[in-house]
Amino acid sequence: MESKRSTTGEIHESTEGGRFRMDHPGRKKPGREGVPGYIMCPGGLIALLLLFFACTERIEIDTEPEFVRLVVDGALTTEAGPHQVRLSLTGDYFGGRPAPPVTGAEVSLLTAGRLLPLEETSPGVYTTASGLPGIPGENYTLRVKTASPVGGYSEFDASEALLSPVLLDSIQLGFYPDYSEEGMWEARGYFRDPPDAGWYRFLAYRNNVLITDTLTEWYVTDDLLFGGKYVNGWRVAFLQQHRPDETLSPGDTLTIRMDRISREYADFILGAQAEMRGSWPLFTGPPANVKGNVSNGAIGFFAAYPVSWASAVVPSE
Amino acid sequence: MVSLTYSLSTVAEDDPPLKCIVSGYLKDHSTGELLIGASVIISEMRTGVVTNSYGFYSVTLPPGHYLFRFSYVGYTSQERHLVVEGNLTQNVSLEPAREELGEVVVTGDRAGQDLVAPVMSMVRISQGAIGRVPAFLGEVDLVKVIQLLPGVQSTSEGTTGFSVRGGNADQNLIILDEATVYNASHLMGFFSVFNNDAIKEVTLYKGDIPVAYGGRLSSLLDIRMRDGNARRFAATGSVGSVSSKLTLEGPLIRDRTTFLLSGRRTYADLFLPLAKNPDIRDNRLYFYDLNLKLSHQFDDNNRLFISGYAGRDIFKNQFAAMGFGNQTASLRWNHLFSKKLFFNLTLLRSEFSYELGTLEEEQNAFRWSSLLRDHAFRADITHYLSVNHTLRYGVATTHHRFFPGTVKAIGEQSVFPDYLLPEQQALEHAVYLSDEMRLSERLTLKTGIRLAFFQNIGPYTLQRYDAEYLPSGTEEFGRGEVYHTWVRPEPRLAFTWLTGAHTSVKGSYSRTAQFMMLAQNSTAGTPLDIWFPASPHVKPQLSDQLAAGWFGRSRDGGWEFSLEGYYRHFSAVTDFRDHARLILNPRLEGELRFGEGTARGLETLVRRHAGHLTGWISYTWSRVFRRIPEINGGKSYPAPFDKPHTVNVVASYDPGKRLSAALTWVYATGLPVTFPTGRAYVGNVLLPVYSGRNAYRMPDYHRMDLSLTFRGKNKPEKRWHGEWNLSVYNLYDRHNTWSINFVQDESRPEVTYAEKTYLFSVIPAISYHFKF
Repeated sequence: MESKRSTTGEIHESTEGGRFRMDHPGRKKPGREGVPGYIMCPGGLIALLLLFFACTERIEIDTEPEFVRLVVDGALTTEAGPHQVRLSLTGDYFGGRPAPPVTGAEVSLLTAGRLLPLEETSPGVYTTASGLPGIPGENYTLRVKTASPVGGYSEFDASEALLSPVLLDSIQLGFYPDYSEEGMWEARGYFRDPPDAGWYRFLAYRNNVLITDTLTEWYVTDDLLFGGKYVNGWRVAFLQQHRPDETLSPGDTLTIRMDRISREYADFILGAQAEMRGSWPLFTGPPANVKGNVSNGAIGFFAAYPVSWASAVVPSE
Repeated sequence: MVSLTYSLSTVAEDDPPLKCIVSGYLKDHSTGELLIGASVIISEMRTGVVTNSYGFYSVTLPPGHYLFRFSYVGYTSQERHLVVEGNLTQNVSLEPAREELGEVVVTGDRAGQDLVAPVMSMVRISQGAIGRVPAFLGEVDLVKVIQLLPGVQSTSEGTTGFSVRGGNADQNLIILDEATVYNASHLMGFFSVFNNDAIKEVTLYKGDIPVAYGGRLSSLLDIRMRDGNARRFAATGSVGSVSSKLTLEGPLIRDRTTFLLSGRRTYADLFLPLAKNPDIRDNRLYFYDLNLKLSHQFDDNNRLFISGYAGRDIFKNQFAAMGFGNQTASLRWNHLFSKKLFFNLTLLRSEFSYELGTLEEEQNAFRWSSLLRDHAFRADITHYLSVNHTLRYGVATTHHRFFPGTVKAIGEQSVFPDYLLPEQQALEHAVYLSDEMRLSERLTLKTGIRLAFFQNIGPYTLQRYDAEYLPSGTEEFGRGEVYHTWVRPEPRLAFTWLTGAHTSVKGSYSRTAQFMMLAQNSTAGTPLDIWFPASPHVKPQLSDQLAAGWFGRSRDGGWEFSLEGYYRHFSAVTDFRDHARLILNPRLEGELRFGEGTARGLETLVRRHAGHLTGWISYTWSRVFRRIPEINGGKSYPAPFDKPHTVNVVASYDPGKRLSAALTWVYATGLPVTFPTGRAYVGNVLLPVYSGRNAYRMPDYHRMDLSLTFRGKNKPEKRWHGEWNLSVYNLYDRHNTWSINFVQDESRPEVTYAEKTYLFSVIPAISYHFKF
């Protein structure tokens, strides 16, 4: 699982003015996780061949509606909070209705003998009190007791150890005018990777508003290619200027949040990203449930990680 | 006393030898092609033998008068009264029963020999049976015909990948004149690499692989190329909607040296300039095959065969280019040490490679290539002890070199560094012995043992893994250093019990071991899938198969029936972990998970050999399951090619006039598939949630194909024979599912729906075949 991203196309040395071809790591494009963008060259050729013949049709499929599981989506970071955990139920895949929230559950965080209760602030959303940052080195266990059983269970828990923080020293911006229709901005991160194995997630904010707000847009990498070294300009975000939600104007502030996440959480995100790409007989293996860290058959992840921020202002041309 | 001694010695001198050997070769009278698997029946002994892969037979008998009957399906039998007083060489040429272009009949029964031989789960098909079955895009393909046999499944719509008795597509050993063909497909699997015009005969062994071969779990597909016409120069060819073929053959030295040269090229891309989309007009998309064979007969005891094959697929569009293909070469020397000791020495080379890259003028251009190369040697001896007792033994060694992947930058401006997956080398050895003995008039027994060794050799840096499959350090090994050896004994046992004049019961047990596998996680597969070897971390897979069956035929041999059941157990069966990464992964072995599997099935077949209407109907019931602790929560799940019900109908109607017709119909339960039963809202996406792997099925698959053949007037004085062939694939336009995807509605993100992709509607094709 460690070598999620392969080398080529990901080397971090500066390539000023160079034009390059690459997919954004977390985009919903067809392709395989961790595979360099050029893999899609043969893919394109094969697709071309199939286009001679292939057609699609919308079809009806009957699945088991009685299959219901608890879904946990929450995180604790080293910031003051408040921190949120969202509880919901799985919905019928073809039901077309929003995920039903799980209300009235007892939710708490257990750490070093202390019990921190979470309060339901809106249906299905459970929140810690503010001013309670996660502490590196601590183990956190999320406990959920639902009002009625879900999938045969009413008690669930998920544990994560909060890793020691890694400081994102700075970021630099680079512009590639030839990439995509309007060009592309990229952000390069500078930080020291600790000697032990590490996994990172990078999120991008424009003027303090999160741009990469969906799982498929998150950029997750391991440290296979820079393990234990000073990382001197690793590409951590790509903003394609023809997409309205990614456009940067001179004077805008681009902020990168670097989360030092656990291997299990990295696996979860990468697995979920692979699932979201769909399946094609030529390219993808069988679909599978993404392994989370919640007990008793629940889906999802409760993560705990240290965060670090760095910003840069978009220069005028 | 003296007189007694004298008389004894006179007796000894005058007495003919106690055992005489009758041996020789069986050939086609018109072309001189050696006939494989033809029968030689000795009426007085109520027994017979079958010619080997080189057309040779040998029978050891007491002296006497015998009636020998030489026969081969599709040929007129010959009977010869032989007075056997000493060793006798009888080379026999059989006259083809009826000359027809590229059309022969599937030969199941050879004057009863199939009933007697302790060989089951085996089918042999001659060149043109293949030509008689309607073909996809008019392109006659032996693998597509193999897929119509009971127990054999196509892995995906239109592909030449096949699954035998629940096995994976990489569990089939495909050999062309003894050389392994690693990727037998062209154009994403829609065509196989075998040009039917260059093929003499194909034999498929399901599970019970002859002990001389090994290294794959599920089947042996033994393909023999034609030797070339020994009597006269001849040409065969065809012009079709997707490809053209030409085969030239003839004697270089009459009755001693023959050659065969055969080529095929597709030209689908020649029509691309007509495409509406200007982007694809400049695309290239074709493949070619070249087959070459030289045979030379030094004398009755020494023959030499040289065969070669090369084929490649070429794709090119405005961004990128890709090529892949196989090359094989084999050199075989047949030598008769005596008339009862047939020796064959084989040297082989086999290679599969691919490369792809961007066009060189592009910035950041790169070239990515991968290669697998084998050099092999084998020595096989068939020892005909008596008419009822045959020994076979031999040794084989193969040196494998794997170059899993290299990506190289081209040009100075590239930002990509070179990327190299390290080379791996391995040696695969085997020794084997098999003993086939007719114990009584009814009972024949075959026992065999194969001892297989697989050795990983350096130089190599071995990645170690811990119990959680995470990397835990590396270990260096020097050049030529053997750093791991797997040994697997493979016993085989089979019997035949003749229950009546026209029926027999057979049973067999066979163990097979597989030391290499394909990194393929999808049902269809691509040419980018690489082969990788067993290693300290990757255990060889094992299959144990028990099979039993009842076989019968009608009195006149025109009908054939069989009913066969099997049970298989797979150990160290391998699957990839969920969301595994297979392409260019330096830690591929860490993606593997190991478990167990079982397969069981029942195969029935009714076949008609004689008359205007020939063909077969078969029904197969089969189930395959796997259980791997890390997959599907440790619960057993249907294997990728688990298709419970399959029906095949193959019918060919030839009234002997100028028009003939053939029809096939296939029905199979849909492939198992994993569908989402629910969805979870996580990280702002609707993540699919599954109840279990392969818990659902695709819609059932069925399809009918038809072909019509119009022959030109057949005048005896004319050398040119021509015929038109019209074929229709998917006659009633069934939209068989190729894949099912789940799509989020663009305007209403809360709505997800299922969408199926199907590849083919009705596809007609026309081709013209000629021979002179």
